[in-house]
Amino acid sequence: MKKAITRRFFFKKTSTAVIAGGAVVYGVAGVPLLKSKELLLRPPGALDEDTFLASCIKCGQCLQVCPPQVIDLAGISQGLGIGTPFIVPQQGACILCKGLPCVLACPTGALDHQISEGKEAAMGLAVLSKPETCLARKGENDILYELSRTTFETRLQTLAETLTKLVPRLTFDEKKTISAELELGNLELSGIPRIVAEMTPELFAWLKKYVAETEQTKTACRICLQTCPISSEQPIVFQAEKEADPESSKLNSVEKMRPVVQRTCVGCGVCEEKCPTAPPSITIVSRKKWQPQALKVKVQA
Amino acid sequence: MSELLISDNETVEQEQVSGENNVASGTKKLKVSKKSAKEKKRKGPGLRDVSILENPHRNKWRLIRWSFLLSVNFLFFASFYFDVQILEGSLSGSRLLGFHLADPFAALQMMLASQVFNINLIIGTTTVIIIYLLLGGRFFCSWVCPYHILAEWGETLHKYLLHKRIIQRNHVFNDRFKYFFFALFLLLSAFSGYTIFEVINPVAILSRSIVYGAGLIILWVVALLLFEIFYSRRAWCRYFCPVGVSYNLIGRIAPFKIHWNVKKCSNCKKCQRACMVPWVLKETVNMGAADYVVSGDCTRCGLCLDACEDGALSYNIRYLDKLI
Repeated sequence: MKKAITRRFFFKKTSTAVIAGGAVVYGVAGVPLLKSKELLLRPPGALDEDTFLASCIKCGQCLQVCPPQVIDLAGISQGLGIGTPFIVPQQGACILCKGLPCVLACPTGALDHQISEGKEAAMGLAVLSKPETCLARKGENDILYELSRTTFETRLQTLAETLTKLVPRLTFDEKKTISAELELGNLELSGIPRIVAEMTPELFAWLKKYVAETEQTKTACRICLQTCPISSEQPIVFQAEKEADPESSKLNSVEKMRPVVQRTCVGCGVCEEKCPTAPPSITIVSRKKWQPQALKVKVQA
Repeated sequence: MSELLISDNETVEQEQVSGENNVASGTKKLKVSKKSAKEKKRKGPGLRDVSILENPHRNKWRLIRWSFLLSVNFLFFASFYFDVQILEGSLSGSRLLGFHLADPFAALQMMLASQVFNINLIIGTTTVIIIYLLLGGRFFCSWVCPYHILAEWGETLHKYLLHKRIIQRNHVFNDRFKYFFFALFLLLSAFSGYTIFEVINPVAILSRSIVYGAGLIILWVVALLLFEIFYSRRAWCRYFCPVGVSYNLIGRIAPFKIHWNVKKCSNCKKCQRACMVPWVLKETVNMGAADYVVSGDCTRCGLCLDACEDGALSYNIRYLDKLI
C-alpha cells in the first residue's frame, strides 16, 4: 500500500530537515565567523590558537586552581571560544606560579604538559606600545609620578596603591621620620588604610615634599623589570636612549633609558598590570614571537 | 479505557500505549478499566495520574535522586566558592579527589578535532566509562545532569499546561534522531577542527554556570526549556542530546537495570505515564522482550518504581542470578 503524504507527515519531515540542516550550516559556516577576532591571552602552556580551541573541553579547572585567580572563562562576546580560559593582564596578570598549577590541572593537554616552569611559558610578548608615556624613557620616578597625579581630593583611589609601592622601598630612618610626622604609629603595609583615612591636606603636602627628597625617588622607573616574575632571566633590558626627548626634563640627573624586551619574555603580563602610567605604556601582544629588531641593525650598518 | 485516556487529554505516545493495552492484555483489561472508572467517579474527569498521587511511596526514588543530583552539583559549586576539594571542575572535565574524570562525548569530539591524545584525558574518560558501565549509561542523565532536573520541572509544568488546555498537544519527534545528531556532531568536529557541540551543549553550559557564574549563553538553555515546556515534552533529552547518546551506548551492556516481574505486574501502564522515555518500558512491559528494561535510553531514574503499585519493578543487577 502506498503511504499517503499527509500534511503532518510533510511538516514532520520538513522540521527534521530544517533542524539537521541548521546544525550542518552552523558547523561548517559558523566556525570561521564565530572565531574570536582578537587573540586572547591564554594561560601558560597553551597550544597554538587553533589547536588550543580544538582541544580545550571548557571544564574550567585551570581557573579553579589559579592561585591569583586571574583566569576567566570567555563568554559569548569572545567569539567561538565560549568557556575557554583567558587572562586580561590589566585586571590581573599571570604570575607564573611555581609548578604552574593550571597546566597540571588541564585534563586535555590544551595547556601543554611539556612545560614545567614559568620561563618556558610562551603566552605572548611584551611590547612598548606607548613609548611616549614610558617613565623610564622620560627619566621620571614612578612614585613621584603617581604622587604628582594624586590630589588630596582623589587620594583614596590612588594613595593606598602608591604607598604600597613606596613603603617597602624606604629605609628604616625614612619610615621613622614619616611615622613621626604623620603621628600614626609605625609605617607598615598593614597601616596604609588608616593613613589614607586620616590624611589631612597639610600632611599630604608634607608627604609629597618629603618623598621627593628621599633616595628612592632619585632613580627612574624600573617597575616593569622589578615586578617581572622571571626577572632573573632578564626579559627586559634598559638601553640608553640615543635621542633625548625634548619634553622630558623633569629629573635631569637621571639617565633616560628605554626598556627593550628580550627573547626571554614569556608575555605573562605583570609589567602591563603594574605599569604606573594609564593606559599602560607596555602591553602584551598575545601569541607574538620575539624577533631581533632588524631595523636597528640596518641603522648601525 | 482508551476513551477515558483520550478524554484525559493524553499525549500521542500514551494513546498508542493504551491502544496496545487493549490488544495485549485480555482479562486484565477489565480489571484496570473498572479501577479507572472508580477513580474517575471519585476525582472527576480531567484529573490525571490520580493513582500516583495515592501511592504512599510515590516520591521515594525521586527524592533520593534529586538529593543526589543536587549534592553532586553542589560539590562542583563548593569546590570553587568554598575551596572544598572533593569534586573540582565542571561536568565536561573534573577531578574526584584528584582523579581525573572527563565527559566521554566531549573527549571524543576533542580527540577528533585536535588529534591531541593526552594521557590524563584518556584516564579520565576510561574512568567515567567504567563507572557508567557499572551504573548503567544514562544513569548520568537523571542522577547527575543539572539540565535534567530543570527539564523535569519543565515536564511537570508542561503536563499542567496540557491539563489546563493552555497548550493543545505534545509534539513528538523520532527518538532515533539523537543518534543522527551524535554522528553529525562527531563528523563536524572532525572536519571543522573544533569542538562545535561544546558551544551549544546545555549540560556543559549549565554546569559551568553553576560553578563559575552564568554568561549570556545561558539564554540558549532557557530557550530549550521553553521549547520543551510549550512545544515538545522533554525534547532535548528524548530526541536530541548527543551526550545522552554517548551514555546510552555505554549503558546497553551495563548490568544495573530495572527488573520487571511479570507475575506481579497488573499491566496498568502507570509506569509508562511516569517515564521520561516511555518507549523504554514499552519494549519490556508491552512486548515482553525481556525481564529487564534493556533499552539504552533508560535513565534508571526510578519514576516507574515510584509509580508502580504492584511492586513489579525494581532496581536489580542483571546476570547476577546467573553468577550465583
